[in-house]
Amino acid sequence: MNNLLTIFLGLVLINNFILAKFLGLCPFFGVSKKLSNAVSMGAAVTLVMLIASIATGIIYNYILVPYNVQFMNIIIYILVIAALVQIVEIVIKRTNIMLYNALGIYLPLITTNCAVLGITLINAQNNYSLLQSIVSALGGGLGFTLMLVIMSAIREKNELADTPKSMKGLPIAFIIASLLSLAFMGFNGLL
Amino acid sequence: MWIPIIILTAIGIISGVLIWVTNRVLPPEPESLKKAEEISGELPGMNCGACGYPGCFAYGQALAKDKNVFFSNTCATLLQDQKMLTSLEKTLNLKIDRNAMNKKAVVACNGNSETIGTYLGVGSCKSANKILKGFKTCPYGCLGLGDCIKVCPQNAITIDIDKNVAVIDPQKCNGCGLCVKECPRKIIKLVPANAKIVFLCSYESIKDIPGREKCDFGCIRCRKCVKACESGAITWNKEKSIPEIDYSKCISCDKCIEVCPTKVLRKYPDFYLKPKEKSKMSQGRDICHGDV
Repeated sequence: MNNLLTIFLGLVLINNFILAKFLGLCPFFGVSKKLSNAVSMGAAVTLVMLIASIATGIIYNYILVPYNVQFMNIIIYILVIAALVQIVEIVIKRTNIMLYNALGIYLPLITTNCAVLGITLINAQNNYSLLQSIVSALGGGLGFTLMLVIMSAIREKNELADTPKSMKGLPIAFIIASLLSLAFMGFNGLL
Repeated sequence: MWIPIIILTAIGIISGVLIWVTNRVLPPEPESLKKAEEISGELPGMNCGACGYPGCFAYGQALAKDKNVFFSNTCATLLQDQKMLTSLEKTLNLKIDRNAMNKKAVVACNGNSETIGTYLGVGSCKSANKILKGFKTCPYGCLGLGDCIKVCPQNAITIDIDKNVAVIDPQKCNGCGLCVKECPRKIIKLVPANAKIVFLCSYESIKDIPGREKCDFGCIRCRKCVKACESGAITWNKEKSIPEIDYSKCISCDKCIEVCPTKVLRKYPDFYLKPKEKSKMSQGRDICHGDV
């Protein structure tokens, strides 16, 4: 139990995907202009991370390890994640149109998101069991959502601030991200 | 060596079969969604939101359900493009009266109205309008901070620095009306695209005399235009105390423009197209810290 909590907190605060591992930076800057978009993107990423972690956890623990072919993990994970996102998209489209409209653009975007591949590879690297993989996926997704929400809230406020013209938009967002990263370094001593 | 190949192939085939199975097992897409996809293929795809729906696809869905939505929530961008309009007419089996719907937005302010003091707050008209009802003596004067510029999907709006007023390029404007809703002073008006004259003053009530006397560029209520008008297109609105133009009667004789002493009546769209005027315009709202 203690071990699971360590994994979870470690990925939410200390080894945060965006600020410490620099994964998923594209949606971090692309989708963080509006709070509502950030929340739905974060929820979608967390969902896909969870499903991908379960599937790849099963494949890793029951197929790759017994046959001693762990070096194949990247290519197999890409295949599995792409297929999974495809299936999730079909299921959502057929069963809940409203949800599909809300998530519409983000689901295909996630297929190519390195954060999703990142979490599965981290699971494989640390030889996590299935339960540990699920917890780490939840932690990673929550950390990603947290960063996206914080960033979008700051950027919404920042729209009203009197930013110099050359700094408007992305440049000031990069500076904000670096300051956030510095602030989150403070969590390093937590565990 | 064969084990990795077999595993990869097997996982690939299993994923393919899973996708195929989910595709088959689940109920097929609803009919309206297919039609909506077909319709949104005909739409501009700019997702500007001017029609009142969140994006072109949602508009397509609404059109698929009820095609009369096109009249209540018209896509203004589509109205500018004859080719797209014709193909949508075919898909939807609609008849669209083009001339009646085509509109252009005009900022009904001549500019240069006097300021009360220096405004150094947040650079948006909405914020400025909340402090002492704006920093202009005239309550209907353009503040020139450019809230309309931000919402314009066509980038048609610029600020004329000399006059400190927003100017809408009639060639770029597609009459979507987003700026009309955005303007906190409600001084942007929609006129028919084939209008020949525009009235660049927005007085709403006869009581606003103090503002009137201080603005040298507003309507002075001389009523010369009403007398000069041959076709009876211009009538006097007693409540607002400004002339009103009936565009369907206007024969574009330009007599009202000649007699107007403050040049509040302007020829449209020629007034906006002079090269000399154009060179003075500049994009953006830098003026809010300097000249105001």
